[in-house]
Amino acid sequence: MFELQIIINGLLLGGLYALMAIGMSLIWGVTNVVNLAHGALIMLGAYTTFWLFKLLHLDPFISLAASFAVLFVFGFLIQKYIINFVIRAKMFITLLLTFGLDILITNVAQTAWTSNFRQTSPSYASNGFSYGIITVPYVRLAAFAISIALVFALYLFLKKTKTGQAIRAVSQDIDAARLMGINVANTFAVTFGIGAGLAGVAGSMIGVLIPITPHMGEILTLKSFVIALIGGLGTIFGPLVGGLFLGLVETFGSFHLGAKYADVIVFGILVATLIIKPTGILGKNNE
Amino acid sequence: MRKIIAVFVMFLVVGSVALLSACAPKQKAPSVIKFGSAMSLTGKYAREGKFYKDGYLLWEKKINKAGGIKVNGKAYKVKVIIYDDESNPAKSQKLYEKLVTSDKVNFLLGPYSSGITIPDSSIAERYKIPMIEGGGASGKIFSRGYKYIFGTLPAAGNYFKNTIEMLHMMAYTGKNSAKTIEVVHSDSAFDNAVAAGAVRWVKAFGLKLTGVQEYPSGSNDLSSVLTKIKKSNPDVVLVAGHTHDALLFIKQAKENKVNTKLMAFTVGVQAVDFRQSLGNDANYAVGVTPWLASMNFKGAVFGTASEFAKTFKAAYGYAPDYHAASAVAGALAFQSAITKANSLDPKKVRDALASLDLKTMYGEVKFQANGQIAKGQAVIQVQNGKAYAVFPKQIAQKELLYPAPSWDKR
Repeated sequence: MFELQIIINGLLLGGLYALMAIGMSLIWGVTNVVNLAHGALIMLGAYTTFWLFKLLHLDPFISLAASFAVLFVFGFLIQKYIINFVIRAKMFITLLLTFGLDILITNVAQTAWTSNFRQTSPSYASNGFSYGIITVPYVRLAAFAISIALVFALYLFLKKTKTGQAIRAVSQDIDAARLMGINVANTFAVTFGIGAGLAGVAGSMIGVLIPITPHMGEILTLKSFVIALIGGLGTIFGPLVGGLFLGLVETFGSFHLGAKYADVIVFGILVATLIIKPTGILGKNNE
Repeated sequence: MRKIIAVFVMFLVVGSVALLSACAPKQKAPSVIKFGSAMSLTGKYAREGKFYKDGYLLWEKKINKAGGIKVNGKAYKVKVIIYDDESNPAKSQKLYEKLVTSDKVNFLLGPYSSGITIPDSSIAERYKIPMIEGGGASGKIFSRGYKYIFGTLPAAGNYFKNTIEMLHMMAYTGKNSAKTIEVVHSDSAFDNAVAAGAVRWVKAFGLKLTGVQEYPSGSNDLSSVLTKIKKSNPDVVLVAGHTHDALLFIKQAKENKVNTKLMAFTVGVQAVDFRQSLGNDANYAVGVTPWLASMNFKGAVFGTASEFAKTFKAAYGYAPDYHAASAVAGALAFQSAITKANSLDPKKVRDALASLDLKTMYGEVKFQANGQIAKGQAVIQVQNGKAYAVFPKQIAQKELLYPAPSWDKR
């Protein structure tokens, strides 16, 4: 029975991980920017939902949309007016830039909202179904469902819409895309906007589940990075597969070996992936 | 051109942040006693770091308003220099080196957290400049025979002593039996020391240990830890972790319907934002604190504990918890020791500290031979959204509510 609970916990955690990583993987795959401010964007999403809940009593599942919109605009502007200037420079430059943005956003948030712990706490926050000793919390289940829904929505968006096709074209070959009349700078900005918006949605959910502080993003960036790599860069389903895999292995390992090995397990898997299949589980080998 | 502008903007962004966090005024006014501290003003300990900074600065303001400290008939103003260590031990060490060698401070006030205090205390010792720290309780700070480090937090190994003693006493009252205990702790230096001490006290008081679990500090998922607790089903769990961990533990305990009769924590329960962010779920949580505004402490400079809390709140707009009180207690100890030694000589002040016995709004400040304060912890419990002392009996404001009702009955 406890094993079943562990598997459920692992899948639910994996769903949350996938939700965190979708945005990072998309931005990385398309623009080749490893966005070190990703966790900070998640944090902004968490605060957006928190304040909407606290001030306007807006349910977190409704304010998901607001989180997406706010972060989309923010992300769009960041890419268009900051990152696009150095997009063709060496990766090190964009790393440094997003690292700086991370520090800036985090510290502005700390100044604006203090480091006090906050939590979006609707009445149903920690409730759930239970059957015997097995429990399934509502919010985690919902986050899991949202995560899967978003992956499929993203898939359809990239395959079926004109903007989506432009994003894919740019990710394959910038120069060829430009020759076909695609506005590369705007496409990058839209991509970053969508990635940031998805981070915002993840933040909305995470803010119900774990304590909100301006510094919560640091560890989330690291986790998203690992998940994106393990799942496979530039693949739409990569974050989902990577997230679920990592969630299951981490939970299972923590239960049987002891929680203190959680980080060893996570980064052990990262190293193993880089050695065995550097392109990730779903990544193509010819990159 | 665009690229150059972008790189320039980037450096501006990164540079301004670095400047903002690193700049601090350098003054060389005469007749000033300089105190230096590297505090975590950003990074993962920013929240607690602010409490200490505010405490130090409140003391600075208060003393200077009252005319400063008199040494050899001459009045000195005090100046507290505070840098930001970004919650990073390596950075903190560098800053203390800088405080000693370049700012030439007279005395050192400590950083926050045991992990950062351990390396920093070596700098105080090397330069033979006394440091009083109010933010590190691990025994490792005080077990190396250092002469220049003093601490105002009770020993980490004893954090849970009173809690366990309380459970032990309950075992004799019959109806409220608490016999089995599980210890959960983070892998930080401080929490390791707390847990090792807790295990010792559980055995010493004849209670049964069902297990000890360690998790990575700052973890965002404790579901495996909680599932294991569900399996071993102890009466009580003792959690040694920082506030974030305590919050997450309670939330996930509810999610996973883990119903122990009591959940006790080291850090967090005494804080206002802990109770605000958990709402009703904070009720019944048990914590420890060396200080509450309602405690019966009194000293010369700030008056009683509750008067201190009022002064603090008036200055900063939020109520202080034990972190700020501990910071101020350290500063008061320096003030008293300097007056007593009637000198600014580090060695003489150090000796005065070693034999200090001072009544403050934080209680009695008296250091043991190893430099750590001789002080106990009160056990507190959240009842109806407020924290009350429940043990030891002499200072209890309310009776302990035990066992806590299961999550679905609250």
